[in-house]
Amino acid sequence: MAKLIGGLGTSHVPSIAAAIDKGLRDTPDWKPFFDGYIPGQDWVKEHKPDVAVVIFNDHGNSFFLDKVPTFAVGCAEEYRPVDEGWGPRAIPPFRGAVDFSWHFIDTLVENRFDPMICQEIEVDHGIQVPMELFWGRPDQWPVRVVPIFVNVIQYPIPLPSRCYEMGRVLRQAIESYPGDERFVVLGTGGLSHQLQGARAGFVNPPADEAFLRDIATDPDKLAAMSREQYVEMFGSEGAELMMWLVMRGAMDRDVVVRHKHYFVPASMTGAGMIVMENKATSSPAVAA
Amino acid sequence: MEDKPGQDKIPDTPLFDRKRSLAGYRINKMAMGLSKPENREAFRQDEGAYLDRFGLTPEEKEAVMSRNWREMVRLGGNLFFILKISAVDPVRITEIGAHQAGMDHDDFLRNRLGKK
Repeated sequence: MAKLIGGLGTSHVPSIAAAIDKGLRDTPDWKPFFDGYIPGQDWVKEHKPDVAVVIFNDHGNSFFLDKVPTFAVGCAEEYRPVDEGWGPRAIPPFRGAVDFSWHFIDTLVENRFDPMICQEIEVDHGIQVPMELFWGRPDQWPVRVVPIFVNVIQYPIPLPSRCYEMGRVLRQAIESYPGDERFVVLGTGGLSHQLQGARAGFVNPPADEAFLRDIATDPDKLAAMSREQYVEMFGSEGAELMMWLVMRGAMDRDVVVRHKHYFVPASMTGAGMIVMENKATSSPAVAA
Repeated sequence: MEDKPGQDKIPDTPLFDRKRSLAGYRINKMAMGLSKPENREAFRQDEGAYLDRFGLTPEEKEAVMSRNWREMVRLGGNLFFILKISAVDPVRITEIGAHQAGMDHDDFLRNRLGKK
């Protein structure tokens, strides 16, 4: 049977992609940020997942305002990088996990979640950056992907609790999938940042640190918060953090934190990473 | 669209709600167009003509052509779309942030983002 081996969380700031493309990885501004991801990269190398379910938001690249799905799920063979204005980035296309995607969509609808179904769609930095942060820049990605797009731009955006509930359905889909693939789920976005209005440049490191703690130990608290509380605490674009709840909802109540990293500012953002395993199935040798 | 101080529930934090989305549709659609290379070229060649294709009002045109980010956002522009202008006419995102905050760039980096 398919198995969930880990829940990963990470920021997906576009400047990270630009920093990689321009060879700035080892400059003083960026080195501490990228070095903090090395344990996360080692973890995926060691645990070798087959499929990565990645929850992220499109940033006005694959969707315009003419059609805004609250939740959309990709079930394509391949996802190419989209042109965000600077031309499509020279990274390999992502291979889809088509059969699981359809199984997940079936499971969602049977559980009263009704997503948009995408058989052909390009993807932006929202998924590119997390993949590069954990898997580097291979010639071909060693995992197949299932993109879940969440609208966190055009209000009304979904409730944090709804993201958490979707995670529970994702877990059900993984557990009922008749393959032997090893799954990771990536919640992406955040942490605190605000790009618009006179409060632009708002970051909140203490709230970010608390989030990185609570996502492991008290996700119910994070799921019970309102959208306004997210915006107030993490900034207008920091509300993206609610997407981590899809990942967390797919995991057990009790998890072990394997790795954690926080760095501020990455461009205009408090940037964070976490690697968690379900406590019941985590390797007992390594205590966090 | 009036943007009176205190209108936002969270101060100085414009949420992209129905009102802003409706008001900003033209600006955002124009900016979305810049994800196509031929439109980027058209913007470079004759910005005014490119903006006219999307029916921008004189106020909206003025905001775009003067790169007045604060005004573009006030008129309903969403940063994820209007940021594409910086792909044609490069400007750092932190400069766009500083402009909206009404701060000098260095001051913005130090006092908002905590840069040393």
